[in-house]
Amino acid sequence: MATEKKISYEGARDELAQVVQSLESGGATLEESLKLWERGEELAKICQEWLDGARQKLDSAKPAGK
Amino acid sequence: MFETSSESPAPVRLVTEAIKDYIDRLGPIWIEGEISELNERSGGMAFMRLRDTSVDMSISVMCYKTVLAAVAPLPANARVVIHAKPSWFTKNGSLTMSAKEIRQVGVGELLARLEELKNRLAAEGLFSEDRKVDLPLLPKKVGLICGRNTDAEKDVVENARRRWPAVLFEIREVAVQGAAAVVEVSQALRELEENADVDVIIITRGGGSFEDLLPFSDESLVRLAANCTTPIVSAIGHEKDSPLLDLVADYRASTPTDAAKNVVPDIAEEVEALQEIRDRMFRKVASIIELESARVLQLTQRPVLRDPLVLVTSREEILTNLKERSHRNFGHRIEVAQGELLQMGARVRSLSPQSTLDRGYSVVQLSDGSIVRDSKKVKKGDELRIRLAQGETGATVTQ
Repeated sequence: MATEKKISYEGARDELAQVVQSLESGGATLEESLKLWERGEELAKICQEWLDGARQKLDSAKPAGK
Repeated sequence: MFETSSESPAPVRLVTEAIKDYIDRLGPIWIEGEISELNERSGGMAFMRLRDTSVDMSISVMCYKTVLAAVAPLPANARVVIHAKPSWFTKNGSLTMSAKEIRQVGVGELLARLEELKNRLAAEGLFSEDRKVDLPLLPKKVGLICGRNTDAEKDVVENARRRWPAVLFEIREVAVQGAAAVVEVSQALRELEENADVDVIIITRGGGSFEDLLPFSDESLVRLAANCTTPIVSAIGHEKDSPLLDLVADYRASTPTDAAKNVVPDIAEEVEALQEIRDRMFRKVASIIELESARVLQLTQRPVLRDPLVLVTSREEILTNLKERSHRNFGHRIEVAQGELLQMGARVRSLSPQSTLDRGYSVVQLSDGSIVRDSKKVKKGDELRIRLAQGETGATVTQ
């Protein structure tokens, strides 16, 4: 899952919002729903990785004593 | 005058007396310059050097002390006009101007000349703003032209180091007053201008008399400074003094300290400002991350993602529901069918010929199953089937 690093944070976040909306609207078949859910989990993980990485970078670059 | 050759050279006395003879015929002239090395020896005579105000050239002058007394007391480096006649001294072969009269060039006269020069240079556009260039923010090296061991030098160096300890100086200590000043300052300026590492040049000297500051209004020096590509900061004398160098400089500092402040940044201040900008940047990025985290959390906390089982259970409910409905529906149909069946059975039974047969009637059928209702429909030899109340039997037609 984590192999898909090409997608940008915004790309992943917007797609995740779409996935959630599709799932909530309930129009999809079960098979489609399962695929959407898996995709949603994947996208959430990508978003989290971006945010964790950003936070980590920020912490390590933080001026000493601050 | 006389023929000489290597075989018949002229003796010194002949030559020097010939020179004297020639020079004595020259009349007195008016000469302007600055007095230096004034030497009032015992006896009636005074000796001095009269220096050119712009270039390194001088002549020796002598006069009776009474001539000098007429303008006493002369300030150091006094600008004078002398009326003098050249004299050749045969004893050592030297030329000295014998002054009959010495006049000090008055401040008013010098000011008038300065004003004239200023107007002339201004008309040429030498002082115009668009000739001025910006000082570098962080000079590789600061050129400094100043007097030897002067307060001005200390002020510049110390203040600059206080602001930026790593500042590098290229210092030229030169004469900053007197006849040598123009020559030495100009030479130093040329050197620093040619030095590629020097990004800015400060020319400074402390306060002094009007005459002391005159070299910094010298036309040749002012023109040289105007043609320098390296930015020049002038810090000459006090605020009220305004030598022409100030007008041509790229920045006119009020004091040597002010000059230092303008050529190097206050590093502590810069570092603090940079830190402030970095802090703001960090805060901004951190808040973006927090905001985005909240957005992602909000999405992932939705029931469909937090509890994906609903995807299945919601369908399961539908399925169960459907199954129940289907069961109910199907059961009902079976009951209906059962009812219909019973009815039909009763009807079938009510229509049955059994009761008639039970009363003793029989049903005669041909072999194809058709019922015999008319004797004409049978002929001799036909096989008949006879259905009785209980079972059936067969017969053959005989007549």
